[in-house]
Amino acid sequence: MTASRIYDSGYRPYDGPRLGAGHATRSLVTHTLQRIFGLHRPARTKVLPMLITAIAFLPPAVFVGLAAFLPKQLTDATLPTYGDIYGFISAVVLLFVMFVAPEALCPDRRSGVLSLYLAAPLTRARYLAAKAGAVGIALLFVTLGPPLLLLVGLSLQSAGPDGPGGLALALLRIVGAGVTLAALYTALSMGASSLTDRRAVAAAGTFIFVQATNAVAAIIAFGLNGPKWVLAFSLGRAPFELARQMHGERAIDDFHVATVVLAIGCITWTLAAAAVAWRRYATLQVTR
Amino acid sequence: MTAQAAATVEFAGVSKWFSGVVAVSEVTVSIGPGVTALLGPNGAGKSTMLRLLCGLTSPSRGSVRIKGRDPRGDPDVFRDIGLVPQQEAVIERLTGRQFVTMAAELSEVPDAVSAAARNIQLVDLEPGDPRPLKAYSKGMRQRIKVAAALVHEPELIVLDEPLEGLDPRQRLRMIELFGRLGDEGRTVVVSSHVLDEVERFGSRVIVLGQGRLLAEGDFREIRDLMDDRPHRLRVGTDQPRHVAAGLLAAGAVVGARVDATSVLVDTDDVRAFRHSVAAIAKDANARLLEVVPLDDDLDSVFRYLLARRT
Amino acid sequence: MNTIFRLVVRTQLTRGRAVALGALGTLAVILAIAARAGADADVNRSMHDIIDGLGLAVLAPVTSLVLASAALGDLAEDRTLVYVWLRPLARWKMALGALAASLAVSLPFVLVPLIAAVLIGGTGGDLLVATIAGAVVAVTGYTALFLGLGLRVKRALVWGLGYVVIWEGAVARTARGAARISVQVYARSLLAAIADYAPPRQAASVGASIIVPIVVVIVAYVVTVRWLQRAEVA
Repeated sequence: MTASRIYDSGYRPYDGPRLGAGHATRSLVTHTLQRIFGLHRPARTKVLPMLITAIAFLPPAVFVGLAAFLPKQLTDATLPTYGDIYGFISAVVLLFVMFVAPEALCPDRRSGVLSLYLAAPLTRARYLAAKAGAVGIALLFVTLGPPLLLLVGLSLQSAGPDGPGGLALALLRIVGAGVTLAALYTALSMGASSLTDRRAVAAAGTFIFVQATNAVAAIIAFGLNGPKWVLAFSLGRAPFELARQMHGERAIDDFHVATVVLAIGCITWTLAAAAVAWRRYATLQVTR
Repeated sequence: MTAQAAATVEFAGVSKWFSGVVAVSEVTVSIGPGVTALLGPNGAGKSTMLRLLCGLTSPSRGSVRIKGRDPRGDPDVFRDIGLVPQQEAVIERLTGRQFVTMAAELSEVPDAVSAAARNIQLVDLEPGDPRPLKAYSKGMRQRIKVAAALVHEPELIVLDEPLEGLDPRQRLRMIELFGRLGDEGRTVVVSSHVLDEVERFGSRVIVLGQGRLLAEGDFREIRDLMDDRPHRLRVGTDQPRHVAAGLLAAGAVVGARVDATSVLVDTDDVRAFRHSVAAIAKDANARLLEVVPLDDDLDSVFRYLLARRT
Repeated sequence: MNTIFRLVVRTQLTRGRAVALGALGTLAVILAIAARAGADADVNRSMHDIIDGLGLAVLAPVTSLVLASAALGDLAEDRTLVYVWLRPLARWKMALGALAASLAVSLPFVLVPLIAAVLIGGTGGDLLVATIAGAVVAVTGYTALFLGLGLRVKRALVWGLGYVVIWEGAVARTARGAARISVQVYARSLLAAIADYAPPRQAASVGASIIVPIVVVIVAYVVTVRWLQRAEVA
């Protein structure tokens, strides 16, 4: 028996263990998140996502700071509720929405990498699910993070909810509202991003579509004195109003729409946008 | 290395780095009329050098001059430059005619439309093709890029992997075209990995390795200068053993391997070997059938140069 | 320069962009119809909201951003800028051609629906003049700013939207200093002055509303030319 070995035989087929489609899917989620936040990439790719995330955390951070330094009587009157915090960050959340899904979806089609992904043990459904998972997780940073920061910060200063029951309820509401917003905007932005290869066009399209739904709903509800339930379909306002109402807040005067109706509107948009994305990818020809 | 009499391009101590990665290091070279091949393995700095040459990027150190002018400072220099870039991307919404006509108009070519049609036909494409470039195959895109690069009849033509995507017939046509341009006195700089075809462009080469200039000049002369590596030749003969013995005894070769019909020899002095092989064969009563250099080609020169580097 | 103009118009105006921007502009018209048709509506107030709130705050910046950032930005992103850049054309002519093309495409997308909205609203000639003046100031200022941004920055559209939504939409409306570096403030101030509306918060004078945007355009144009000269072209 010879003691000699060859350590480099050149190309050989891989015959080690295969980790399966589940591992491939999880890897895609990880890599997409890295891409979105610019991790393992040059510093300039990190600036935009980090800046937007930081701006989203700024209002709750300020309020936590105020709670630390101002007398309790003042803070009780000035601090927003966990539902109200969305009013301060809705513009930033929408900006993040416009950025995330185009970054996750468009470059794969534009560069031709999608065909490489689909040559791996990833079906189109798994690919979309992985992308949705990554986009959803990224959006949770800005839909869940700021109210959580507010909750934790205020609780640490004994200005939070009363007792463990109150804390658990607040937490449940924050998670529910955050996940609802993330799910809706994940579907919406993926739907828009599935329609074009260019990130800029997908971002602009998302922005314009959101503004358009706001304007049309306002025209019908206020301009034409139509039914108020159409406001549940305004993508820029209804979801945040739903988030507020999930925290037990009363409806704002001009937006008097029942929670159930708001939920129906959000679910409808979520399903419709997801259907657009799925249809597009199911019929997409991925080779040139 | 001496500069050519009428150098079109001059690199003087040029270095280029990107965020700590040195792409080109202290390259000093002149390029004149005719075809010059720019060779090097992946990452050698060829594309960077071509970008520096065309003024698409500034050198971190040193200077690049096109007929005495800085391509970064004076857009007028671009009148004399035609570039076929490596990337496949073209302006996809335009048709081929629109793309080449745009190039002609931007270069202030009189009667741009006719010039565009002429150059499109030169690369065996149809000027009247109504399809946008998005519908073109890889080979068609490559050819339309060549047409756009030549439409203003530049004096300096820079080609980065120009044969990529072309079928064998198209490759031959392009090689003929570039050779003709070189014969007309234009300066043609070609970067290519397809060495056996680059050989057909001409014999002048610039070889890069890890960003450094390894050699420049006629590749056969470069081969001759490599005195640390014996030349290998095949001597076809009906008396291989006797010829081998004679060559070894005369000291004309440093090594020999015999087979049924030939002798493979290694020699340090090709000229002396060539002078003596006929006489030695005659003394051995052998017929000489052929004397063929086996490592005189560009591929061998290229590999030897890179091997010296590592 | 004509060649650059035609090229930019051709590459900038895709069907998707035209449909999206056209739809956004159509909203202004629909809103005007709704305002005119609404029995209880204060038409004057509604028209102010449409022109100021939708036209100058959304339609003008978004249209300018989408088109101007794509003018040179698309070429840079697609790595096809080399086919234009490596030509004996002075960089100031190149930038001017791209700027002119962007304006030629953006202005109709903004002016036509806003003028139509004003005419439908039927609130008088002053608003028409004010709308045209405000929209021209807005589109020209934004176009000049975003032209260079598209060339220099990846994800220029998101950065531009961030500027419009966060800086101009929130910060500039509350801080006087920030308002001085907001194109929207000058456009809205001019609209308010000519149409005799209440001035917006942090409003600028009529003179400043004309001069400062001109200065912004010139500076942004010069910077774009400089960036073109120094571009590292792929």
